[in-house]
Amino acid sequence: MSGRLPARPGEAIDRGRPLTIDFEGRRAPAFEGDTVGSALAAAGVTITGRSFKYHRPRGLMCMTGACPNCLMQIDGIPNVRSCTEPVREGMRVERQNAWPSVDRDVHGVLDSFSFMMPPGFYYKVFQRPRWAWSKVEPIIRKQAGLGKVPRTEDHEPREVVNLHADVAVIGGGLAGLAAAAEAAAAGASTVLLEQRREAGGRALGSADDVDRARLVAEAEASGARILLGTAAFGVFDGPVVAAVGGGGLQRIRARHLVFATGAVEQPAVFPNNDLPGVMLSSAVELLVNRFRVLPGRRAVVLTSNQDGYRAARTLRDAGADVFVVDLRAGAGSADGLRVIPGSTILSAKGRRGVTAVSVGAPGSATGQSIPCDLVVLAGFSAPSTNLLAMTGAKLGFDDDAQAFLPVELPPDVHAVGAVAGARTVQGAIAQGRLAGLEAAAAVGQEPPGAAGRMEVLRAQAAERGDPVVLPPEVATGEGKQFACLCMDVTSKELKAAAAEGFDSMELLKRYTTVSMGPCQGKACMLSAQRLCARAAGSSFAETRPTTARPPWTPVELGALAGWRRTPRKETTIHDLHADSGATFMWAGDWRRPHHFATPEQEVEAVRHRVGVIDVSTLGKFRVKGPEAVELLERLYPNRFGDLAVGRVRYGAMLNDEGVILDDGAVCRVGDDEFFVTVTTGNTAALERWITWWLADWRLDVRVLNVTGAFAALNLAGPDSRKVMSVLTDADVSSEAVKYMSASSFEVAGVPSLVLRIGFVGELGYEIHFPSMYGEHVWRAVMEAGRPFGIVPFGLEAQRVLRLEKQHILVGQDTDAESDPFEVGLGWMVKADKPDFLGRRALEDLAEAGPKERLVGFTCDPSWLPPEGASVVHEGVWVGRVTSARRSAAARSVVGLAWVPAGWAEDDTEIEIQFGGAHAKAKVALKPFYDPEGARLRS
Amino acid sequence: MTFLITCPNCGPREALEFSYGGEITRRAGPGSSSAELTGYLFFRENANGWQTEWWLHRDGCRMWFLAERHTFTNEIRRTYPPGSEPPVDAQAPEGAA
Ligand code: FES
Ligand SMILES: [Zn+2]
Repeated sequence: MSGRLPARPGEAIDRGRPLTIDFEGRRAPAFEGDTVGSALAAAGVTITGRSFKYHRPRGLMCMTGACPNCLMQIDGIPNVRSCTEPVREGMRVERQNAWPSVDRDVHGVLDSFSFMMPPGFYYKVFQRPRWAWSKVEPIIRKQAGLGKVPRTEDHEPREVVNLHADVAVIGGGLAGLAAAAEAAAAGASTVLLEQRREAGGRALGSADDVDRARLVAEAEASGARILLGTAAFGVFDGPVVAAVGGGGLQRIRARHLVFATGAVEQPAVFPNNDLPGVMLSSAVELLVNRFRVLPGRRAVVLTSNQDGYRAARTLRDAGADVFVVDLRAGAGSADGLRVIPGSTILSAKGRRGVTAVSVGAPGSATGQSIPCDLVVLAGFSAPSTNLLAMTGAKLGFDDDAQAFLPVELPPDVHAVGAVAGARTVQGAIAQGRLAGLEAAAAVGQEPPGAAGRMEVLRAQAAERGDPVVLPPEVATGEGKQFACLCMDVTSKELKAAAAEGFDSMELLKRYTTVSMGPCQGKACMLSAQRLCARAAGSSFAETRPTTARPPWTPVELGALAGWRRTPRKETTIHDLHADSGATFMWAGDWRRPHHFATPEQEVEAVRHRVGVIDVSTLGKFRVKGPEAVELLERLYPNRFGDLAVGRVRYGAMLNDEGVILDDGAVCRVGDDEFFVTVTTGNTAALERWITWWLADWRLDVRVLNVTGAFAALNLAGPDSRKVMSVLTDADVSSEAVKYMSASSFEVAGVPSLVLRIGFVGELGYEIHFPSMYGEHVWRAVMEAGRPFGIVPFGLEAQRVLRLEKQHILVGQDTDAESDPFEVGLGWMVKADKPDFLGRRALEDLAEAGPKERLVGFTCDPSWLPPEGASVVHEGVWVGRVTSARRSAAARSVVGLAWVPAGWAEDDTEIEIQFGGAHAKAKVALKPFYDPEGARLRS
Repeated sequence: MTFLITCPNCGPREALEFSYGGEITRRAGPGSSSAELTGYLFFRENANGWQTEWWLHRDGCRMWFLAERHTFTNEIRRTYPPGSEPPVDAQAPEGAA
């Protein structure tokens, strides 16, 4: 069947704008306004894919994006629902999940061997033997795949948009449109989310477009913000509604939520109910009325209500031959349609599409065979309560609706339309209007005369419609009866699983994977739940729906991930480093020079002449207030009360476990003011740490993170004093600027705080100054140092230099269990202080004594042990290397390693091992370079 | 983490702007027993219900404050700066069902 029906008003296609899509290498004609699915249907394509497990042919079923049947690879993106995807000129469309092609699938033979895939297949088959999994898994993967993941990187810019409104309406069917129109017209700021590209919901397919057109116009005129193509997929606490659409993720926060999520039409269960040509009435109505494609010439409609008759009339008016099979015994012929009352479909026949159905009384073994090429399942539905349930709404079984409906709603949450059980158009619209008015009134926007209107609406909203009659849970005939199309789960498999004891929905779902496929249970919940009840010997009303969890609609991971961004921090001197050819590396969020020339040359310069490194990334805190000393005394195990103004002390912060958090310099710059530096990567965490305790202790101190406000350089080397004296008029003699002093003077004309400390073990100055002068001071230092052969050095050289001095790096050489005694910092613990963080734990630790120690070691430079290499003793692991570098000064490899405490003695022989390599090494407790620190103090 | 938290300084803001500091604890200082120390370091009430806890307005004013949050519903009934504990009202903290 192909081609289009004659034009009619209200059709979605624009016949004046034809275009062409590429369907598996063939050209398929389409019109603007088509979806891929409708265009393919018009082109006569009836098989839209192959099923997940058995590779059975499948065709369009719902046309609303609620089933798994039409997933295709479109322009490289897998799993696009072709039935709702608008056509674009030249788009490339391929069916998935079949080899060599969907029309001829060699895996289709699986269908005949389905006993190989019993329920719980994944659990059972691969428990034992274990090796089997690795053999079978790639084959299953290939067979069961859902499209191909694109190999190219996704550079789509995706935004996260935050929306705030008085009222958010989820679902743009008639009830939702009515709610949004009322709320907005009353003056409440209102957003409406509709997942499809057009509002109208179920009414979109209707032959009669009057209600829909009027409500769309009313909602548009009301000032409500209508977001089409925006699918809500979850409700989170707040509440926040999360939706995808409009190029990204939308987070909607509204004071009132109106759920108008409708209902999803459900198939019936009978043998071969998955054949192409078996459709829901939504698909038939949309194809015929909107896209003008007649999906079959001889149709059988199974129904028990007006929906079926509406679909039957639509088909008949389009020229098809129609039988109506009505489940109700009392149904008479209506509107000249041929009706078979009190009957159901017992089975369907066909291979690549339906060719006949057998019709008879429910439960009968044989029936009358009716040849047909289209079967329409009309008017069975499951309310879309998932999003509603995520708000905490309680559901209860409703006998008339044969469905679980909301019975208890959280405050400020409303449910209207089919999701609330409305089964007539007028009832649904009245519920929508009422909720819109109520929500508006609740946010202080009650329009005049609202009370009277609400009274009238309340009466109309109570109208429910006829009780629902559902088809039998299962039919008696031969052949597979599918409950879940996504995961290819049949009624028989559900029955077998229930017999094995998995007889509640939650268990059944996990065991058989029913409802866990791409439709998220939309197209199978009714069948699965009823079959579960039947198998468990209980009633539908007694089953409990599975817990609703996001996402309710499939969400691309890219939408959640947002835009691909890698933020980085650069010091104010960064550009100069780049100009001089620095190789950069990551240091936390920072980009820092790893080296400029070679690390060896840089080390050599610092040891023999002078070098400079940009240390602006150091964390810096200004601590000021009458109780500044008290704060530091409590934060550190060190003593600071006796630290003179203008002096620096090295300190380490501990937590209450006695574990080292960080180390750095504490400088007293005034009676009640300190300047504290911390490790680059720890700055944010330490700011949190310090301010947290400050909040708890409520001391009269202010702590300010001034990391970004100050740039810092470390000028180091035997000639650094000479360079300093060029840069400043201040007296920088060793008497005036002593080791461990903090002095304020101008450097290159910029007011600076100069600390005479030396991480690298040479005479050195750490110069802190306002960061805006970064480039100026750097240039001045390079200029002043040129006669002395100054070189800039990077992190790698600094690491070698500090390791030669055995200066530890917290986090590199220590871990989450390292206490000060173990790393040789016991000297800073002033146990006679009344209290400080870690004090109580240190009492126990001191008493027990360290079990392990961090010690220096040297070994032959022919092999450089990597960080993490093992320290072994007689083949047994006893410790590990935390840092190691080749040292020119020590003419060996120097490093730090954790060893058993008893081994912490000079010259103890240890063995280091990594992979196949190993080396003998010797413990060395003193620094490898200038052990007495004479150069530092010079 | 999509609920709102009212910073005592800045007013209601998204929870994403804040860092969680955990339930309030009683610090085991000098003189406490080893059991008290390990209790303080490693054991928490982990209430299913109302809990007083620390929050930092990390991406805002950077204030640490206390909040009474229901751990099951994420409802926050009160936030306040430490040291300004409001008088305990008639409604005692209750556990959730
Ligand atoms: S036919 Fe496209 S999702 Fe059902
Ligand atoms: Zn704040």
